[in-house]
Amino acid sequence: MSKQVINTTNIFIAFQYLLARKKQSFLATIGVMLGVTTFIVMINFMTGVNDFLDDAVFNGSPDIIISAKQNKSSSKQGFGVGINSLERVEKIDHLLSKEENIQSFAHQIISPAILVSENAQLPGSINGILPSSEKRMVDLERRLIEGKGFDGLVEENAILLGISLAKKLQVSTGDQLKMILPNGKNMRLKVAGIFSFGITTIDNVRTYFPAQTLQNLLGQHDVITHVHIKLKDRDDVGLKTELSQQIETATIEDWKDANKTIVIGNKVRDILTWSVSFALLLVAGFGMYNILNITVIHKRKDIAVLKTIGYSAADIIFIFLVQSVIIGLLGALFGAGLSYVISYFISTTPLDTSDFIIVDTYPINFKLMYYALGIAFGILTTILAGYFPSKKASRVDPVTIIRGI
Amino acid sequence: MILETKQISKYFHEPDKHQVLNEISLQIASGELTSVYGESGSGKSTLLYILSTLDRDFEGRLHILDHDIKELSAAELTNFRNKHIGFVYQFHYLLPEFNVLQNIMLPAMKLGEKNKEEVKHEAIMLLKELGMQDFAKRPSYKLSGGQQQRVAIARALINDPLLIVADEPTGNLDQKNSDVIFDLLKEITTNKAKAVVIATHDPKIYQNSDKTIEMIDGSIRL
Repeated sequence: MSKQVINTTNIFIAFQYLLARKKQSFLATIGVMLGVTTFIVMINFMTGVNDFLDDAVFNGSPDIIISAKQNKSSSKQGFGVGINSLERVEKIDHLLSKEENIQSFAHQIISPAILVSENAQLPGSINGILPSSEKRMVDLERRLIEGKGFDGLVEENAILLGISLAKKLQVSTGDQLKMILPNGKNMRLKVAGIFSFGITTIDNVRTYFPAQTLQNLLGQHDVITHVHIKLKDRDDVGLKTELSQQIETATIEDWKDANKTIVIGNKVRDILTWSVSFALLLVAGFGMYNILNITVIHKRKDIAVLKTIGYSAADIIFIFLVQSVIIGLLGALFGAGLSYVISYFISTTPLDTSDFIIVDTYPINFKLMYYALGIAFGILTTILAGYFPSKKASRVDPVTIIRGI
Repeated sequence: MILETKQISKYFHEPDKHQVLNEISLQIASGELTSVYGESGSGKSTLLYILSTLDRDFEGRLHILDHDIKELSAAELTNFRNKHIGFVYQFHYLLPEFNVLQNIMLPAMKLGEKNKEEVKHEAIMLLKELGMQDFAKRPSYKLSGGQQQRVAIARALINDPLLIVADEPTGNLDQKNSDVIFDLLKEITTNKAKAVVIATHDPKIYQNSDKTIEMIDGSIRL
């Protein structure tokens, strides 16, 4: 092309056209703005929920659990015999210590127990842990509501409780509890701290208790019921397969098995978010397309004149495309601003605690990336929507128009 | 010779194929006002669109300023038209979004040979010549028909083209304004040594032209 299409004259013409149709330009901008706003707010909210759940679930639970197989013959032998231990724990430890993908792993002794407080008694289970290795598995400090974290377990009768469990037992930090184990042994405990992962399935049942005390009470000094593993790359399923082949005497379960509903929920939310967002942008794009198309039809005479006085097809495309870019840019920027305001309000809106998650306000993401994405998609949509009318404008044949009068 | 045609024929294909122009050969020189007249349907407008390079779908040859118009690329032709040909239409066709001055400046801004200030200065000079200097800032749609046509002439002149093509320039005006416009076109022809081609069926115009071409059923009678 001998002459540059992008020049101030063409931009000036585009601006004049936009200003000549203030109302339509304004409405088109509002359309893009609403599309981009909804797009960003939806993504902020849905990814907020997803991230919240991921964080709560995956930081609260291990990625892979190796547990003792339920041995039917031993359980038949009656009450008080004790709990099944994992066999050959040293071999498992040895195997795990050589694996690359493992961030950390820890032993647990999980035993059924009845917890008795002054006002309530609840059947449940006790998680016996080694504070030093469990620290590398769970960031409990962040989850602590009151009292001490794993450090509190230096006292041999200290126990940490999930918040829902503590509420049911009607106890708080410093209160006394009695624990009754399957073999009849019981012990007085002191609540050293209360934590919340935000998910009822964890907060209802999870306890932390010194492993050694538990082993002593059970009378099984070497018993280990579970090995918990945290992975570096959670989606790499290689280790699970390998462990399943090597260890036949244990059950191996990974996070996907344990959290099927959450994994599926996240997927459904993702699909919903993206499809609704794109549908909205599409609608905004159609609005844009419509308005420009009508302009092109109304302005056919003017386009014909521009062509006769020396404006090329490329100039015409540029003139009309600039209009949609300006509308897209303004709409996208206003949309990003508005979505921030709306997201802020949602994030401060109190949320009635459901049975499933425990949170004060709606979880919302404020990632800059989503705003950039919203703006980019908004502009892209308008450019695409503007291109076809612009192309149509460039094809206006001056002779047909001038003759047609 | 500014413009020369050799045996130009043109067919319409809708609704049936029929010949609109029949082997038209003519020459147009600078400093000459040529009028093409004839009944409506005689093919005078069709010929004018070909002479003004808007319509290249014809048989035969068209040379303007030693360029074979059919051999120019679309982009070359656009530039050629921008630089060498000025248009005046029956319906003025000013762009309503722009004021008078901006309308006149549009072809020159596209040509880009002069900066905005120079173009503006020249546009104002043209408006003065046409007695329109008081209307420079007025939106173009707020002018009378005769005033709009004067602005259209100024727009046709801004790039100082050698060929001015006018399609029924007075067809939409009353007698007084028609006279003004025609006098202006005559003045431009003589004073600026332009070649002006006017399609018209106003007898007053073709009787006062330097050269007349009568069209009957797609053929010319000189």
